[in-house]
Amino acid sequence: MSAIIQGFLYVLYPLHFLFLLLGVAGGIIVGALPGLTASVGIILLLPLAYQLDPSTAMVMLCGEFCGAMYGGSISAILIAIPGTPSAAATVLDGYPLAQKGEAGKAIGIATISSAAGGIISTFCLMFIGPRLARLALKFGPEEYFALMIFGLTIIASVSGKSLVKGLISGFFGLLIATIGLDPVTGYARFSFNMPNLMAGFPFLPVLIGLFAISQIFIQLEAVGEKIKHFRQKIRNVLPSFKELKNLATVIIASSFLGTFIGIIPGTGGTIASFLAYSEAKRWSKNPDSFGKGNIIGVAAPEAANNGTTGGAMIPLLSLGIPGDVVTAVMLGILPLIGISPGPLLFKEHPEIINSIFAGMLLANVLILLLGILSVRLFPQVLMTPDAILFPVIFALCFLGAFSLNNSVYDMFIALIFGVIGYIMKKNNFPAAPVVLGVILGPIAEDELGRALIISHGDWTVLFQSPIAIFFYVISIFSLLSSLKRQFSIHPKTK
Amino acid sequence: MDKKEIFLSIVLMVISMTIYILTYQFPQQTVALSPAVFPRFVSTCLFILSVALLIQGIAGVKKDSEQKKVELTLNKIFIIRLLLMIILAFFYTQILPLAGYIIATPPFLAGAMLLFNEKRWFRVMAVSIITTALLYILFRIVFKVFLPRFSLF
Repeated sequence: MSAIIQGFLYVLYPLHFLFLLLGVAGGIIVGALPGLTASVGIILLLPLAYQLDPSTAMVMLCGEFCGAMYGGSISAILIAIPGTPSAAATVLDGYPLAQKGEAGKAIGIATISSAAGGIISTFCLMFIGPRLARLALKFGPEEYFALMIFGLTIIASVSGKSLVKGLISGFFGLLIATIGLDPVTGYARFSFNMPNLMAGFPFLPVLIGLFAISQIFIQLEAVGEKIKHFRQKIRNVLPSFKELKNLATVIIASSFLGTFIGIIPGTGGTIASFLAYSEAKRWSKNPDSFGKGNIIGVAAPEAANNGTTGGAMIPLLSLGIPGDVVTAVMLGILPLIGISPGPLLFKEHPEIINSIFAGMLLANVLILLLGILSVRLFPQVLMTPDAILFPVIFALCFLGAFSLNNSVYDMFIALIFGVIGYIMKKNNFPAAPVVLGVILGPIAEDELGRALIISHGDWTVLFQSPIAIFFYVISIFSLLSSLKRQFSIHPKTK
Repeated sequence: MDKKEIFLSIVLMVISMTIYILTYQFPQQTVALSPAVFPRFVSTCLFILSVALLIQGIAGVKKDSEQKKVELTLNKIFIIRLLLMIILAFFYTQILPLAGYIIATPPFLAGAMLLFNEKRWFRVMAVSIITTALLYILFRIVFKVFLPRFSLF
């Protein structure tokens, strides 16, 4: 308990709190703007994050994650365009409410549900995270290798429409990871005697290119398109006590559902919000009112998608594997700000963990306050012209790529991967598996190499540990379930 | 038949085969994991998946309406805009070390705004200069990040 209080004292220190506020407010804006996601928001905050100490940087990034997850609901309610994919379910009832002149109430309910979902999931993170990390401390190289294999099967889950294209993206990421020094022998692979290539592709510019710059190119397509505006006056933000009482059960249940979905690697806010929506509709006494402006249809998905924030952080912090796309991006950038996610983080840097717990709880309180107090500003945020927003983002992307190593080469790499990311997006190759391949591939290879060195080259060592076998089994299960889902979504592709 | 998928699958096949062949230049390691093992595994899997993509392309999976809509928007003007944006960004990365951050960034921002169809010159100039100034103050002065400076030599 005293550790958590220390975490709170750290986050409540004015300067640290300012960065948390910046993260949450920035997250809400990024989430609300269609075309920008939580992953892009995190990437845009990076140049700032380098300059901070690891705990403050992490608190800011967590604030951004929670804020963006909530922010998506604003444009979903006001203009029927989900700011983030996880707010897609909120459109179903949020927009009809806005059309009825109850946009204020819809945003109020989304705010309360999001904050509640985030707080409940953070408590779950505080309870489960340290216990899982304690278990993971017993892992040796062979168990870690098996865990990374499980992590890599997430590629199949985040493949989107086409499993083949998703897997190609994942193996493309693994291929990128093989460039540079081999982690076991130190041999420079595919470097062609070029000093820049000996260190491999710098991860951050790859990330900036694939997620942010490619999105700027995509946005160029929208030039000249008419932008939707919201012109009503927003009022009556706070729901009545009776309404809140009626929503309490749905919010709590959806929050736990979201947390559970968040823990499962490869899932995320979109799945959680649609699942929560359908469950709320199934349990409702009046299911026909869903889709026509039922407040439960706003509360359930919003509680669930913010519920995934704490859930997704559990495997990230305890095991070093991502829970969803946003935490995959975080996994890649945490080492750059001086944090190595995994069980040792809990043992060696409890102060960082405590500040993350406190920061996430306070981030959700801030969501509640900012959401209620600044609701009238939201339509203005949505009116930000693309012609200003995206060039400024482009400049920030280049600044972010440059500032890590003070290298123009890194900016060039970001641009190249921006073009690659654009080509991928245009041809329906998802970018998230590339990130997983780039991050998890070298770790898997490193652990495999270590296990083989310890066993003097005996490959059977990989199948001797019950924990490792457990991970292989759930890896197979994960792959099979992705295959099943693929064929059930696209029966014609059989 | 989806020609684009067929083309991409052939490109991927060539890349994976090239990677596999290049691994024969790597030194052999007998005690633990050879540096060639992982790239060979990855390139083999990539090759198999490229074949799957090729078959998918030849079988000509029907495109959904969303894909068709996306392709329709890929008109000539957009392609020109996209190419100009890439060229602008490329020049920015090349000129930045020579001209410095303060001189190179406003034209880059102004160019990008023009490509995003911003026609109000005052707004273009104001945003590009103010953004550059703000970013410079924040990163160079507040956070002491080294930013490229103009130098004749």
